[in-house]
Amino acid sequence: MSTGEEGHMAMADRGSRKRRVGVKKGTKAARNKKLKSKPSSSDRFKVTMKNQKLFQKRARDYNSDEEEEEDESKKQPEVTIREKIFSDANMGPNYEEIEEEDGEDNDENSDGEDHGEIESGITKFATDGCNAFKIAFKAIMKKTKGDDTLGPVLSAHKHLIGEKLAEEEAEKKAKGQARKAKHLIAEKGHVKPESYLDSHEKILIGVATKGVVKLFNAVNKAQHAQKGLNPSRSKDAKVLKKRRKEAFFSELGKTKTDPKAQKSEEEAPAWAPLRDNYMLANPKLKDWDKNQETKEGDDFAAMSGDESYED
Amino acid sequence: MGRFKNNKKSRVIVKPIAKKNQEDVSHVTGDKIPKSFVFSRMKLAGPVKQLQMDLRKLMLPYTALSLKEKKRNTLRDFLNVSGPMGVTHFLMLSKTASSLSLRVARTPQGPTLTFKIHQYSLASDIAQSQLRPRCPQDLFKSPPLIVLSGFGSQELHLKLATIMFQNIFPAIDINTVKLSTCQRLVLLNYNKDTKLIDFRHYSIRLQPVGVSRRIRKFVQNHQVPDLRNLQDVSDFVTKAGYGSESEGDEEAATVTLSSDLGRVNKGATKSAVKLQEIGPRMTMQLVKVEEGLCTGGIIFSEYENVDGKKEKLKKKQDDEEEEEEDSEEEGEEGSEEDGEDMDEDFED
Repeated sequence: MSTGEEGHMAMADRGSRKRRVGVKKGTKAARNKKLKSKPSSSDRFKVTMKNQKLFQKRARDYNSDEEEEEDESKKQPEVTIREKIFSDANMGPNYEEIEEEDGEDNDENSDGEDHGEIESGITKFATDGCNAFKIAFKAIMKKTKGDDTLGPVLSAHKHLIGEKLAEEEAEKKAKGQARKAKHLIAEKGHVKPESYLDSHEKILIGVATKGVVKLFNAVNKAQHAQKGLNPSRSKDAKVLKKRRKEAFFSELGKTKTDPKAQKSEEEAPAWAPLRDNYMLANPKLKDWDKNQETKEGDDFAAMSGDESYED
Repeated sequence: MGRFKNNKKSRVIVKPIAKKNQEDVSHVTGDKIPKSFVFSRMKLAGPVKQLQMDLRKLMLPYTALSLKEKKRNTLRDFLNVSGPMGVTHFLMLSKTASSLSLRVARTPQGPTLTFKIHQYSLASDIAQSQLRPRCPQDLFKSPPLIVLSGFGSQELHLKLATIMFQNIFPAIDINTVKLSTCQRLVLLNYNKDTKLIDFRHYSIRLQPVGVSRRIRKFVQNHQVPDLRNLQDVSDFVTKAGYGSESEGDEEAATVTLSSDLGRVNKGATKSAVKLQEIGPRMTMQLVKVEEGLCTGGIIFSEYENVDGKKEKLKKKQDDEEEEEEDSEEEGEEGSEEDGEDMDEDFED
């Protein structure tokens, strides 16, 4: 706190000084400090009539040029001279492009600052006696304000830049189209379902459900039948096997009456040897199969053959 | 030994899922458990990559979920790796400007079926289109059941497709299977008129039947009911609720469970089977069947001209070498030896 106050005091004291040591002239920092220090000083001192007038004038600063001219000119004549010298020296590289306005360079320097700063820069040169400068510069600024997207550019370069921009746009368009075409190819065949259940889907779900129901019923029968029997006892084991066979055959027997298209539903979820294609797919066993089985539907012979072969 | 020379030069980076859970031989049936790789030979982009991921999830748990392939891996590399790891099937996706195709092949020398995918939808699309997408935690822990319908048994290429799909998923034994492990279902429906195969993937849910809707919801979802307007709890229990329109369908889909399945579906009571779609949806057409693994003689082709020309060329070439090829006609099955015997069998 104390250091802050000290700093504040220092700033206030320094505000009364005309020259500031250790601060570069004509830079942003200098101008910022100038502006900042004055409000801070107003916090510390009483608001006298003189100060009040001063402040009111400053408030109007941001809106008009003339008052500022007078104010600034009274207060810091030396600073403006120094600034002009500095900016003159600074103009070197940009000087060829912009012949008329010296103020241009200063303007570019202060481009990022707020309107007040630009105005003060302009008016400084103006107070040095170049009213004509001020008028000319302002006229140019007004002109370039209404310009198109290119901004403040010399007419000679405008065409080139215009061409370049047109080229870039054309390229972008071409790229965009190429990208769109690529995207279309990538998405080819990709269908997002709008409605979840339409009639075709319902049919398919019905088919699948039927298959599952058959399987679960078969499982239930098979497992229920062997609930009572203990698989470890050898006597029971035989009964178990017999029951298993019978239960499964009865299940198969039911499905045979169904139309043939649905028959394949039963095949798939069952035990591997129970699939009809089990033996047919395995080429080594095929020959054996051929003698006993003529049709597909003759499962009994095949199954009993299966069983014995497996054991 | 010669086969493994390639491994030194071009390595396949394969990361299978945790090996400790994998068995090679099923306890139940004594068959080898079929494992699969789902991959693509070219770089896929956009939704097709998602489709590949969806297919991998579908084939869980016996597949390599995070399989990574590089450009320089050839089919030979995959073959070399599949031997020691016990992988039996390859599912290969490939996309050209005109079409997207899926090839299902049996390693090491098995037949290759090529399907052209006309339309597909991703799992995420389907989840978005549903009101209540459902994905319980252990959905992918056990392999799916498979239901094939409409294939018939006349045409050979269809028969081959049937066998191939049946063998991709491990078999179940109805005597010992636990119904709680049957959580997913893959449906392949063949339409004779359009020759298109519909591929769908569902999750199975069992719901007790005969219980009023409110009580069922209360028990299943643990939602405390609103009893503000009721005088007595008995009102809640006995009030006749409205039935949903799907309850009519449930009549046909009722099963009697042999054992308890979770808290809600008790054994020896009736439950209804409800399917909800998850996973990708595809409409495909079988266009080509080849004898070898993406090579070999073409057994069936949808586009007759191509097949005819190639057949003739092959015949001329093979006349000198093998006699089996002589009798090869379009309607033959893919297995090799005893060509003449096979002819007699299937020309009925």
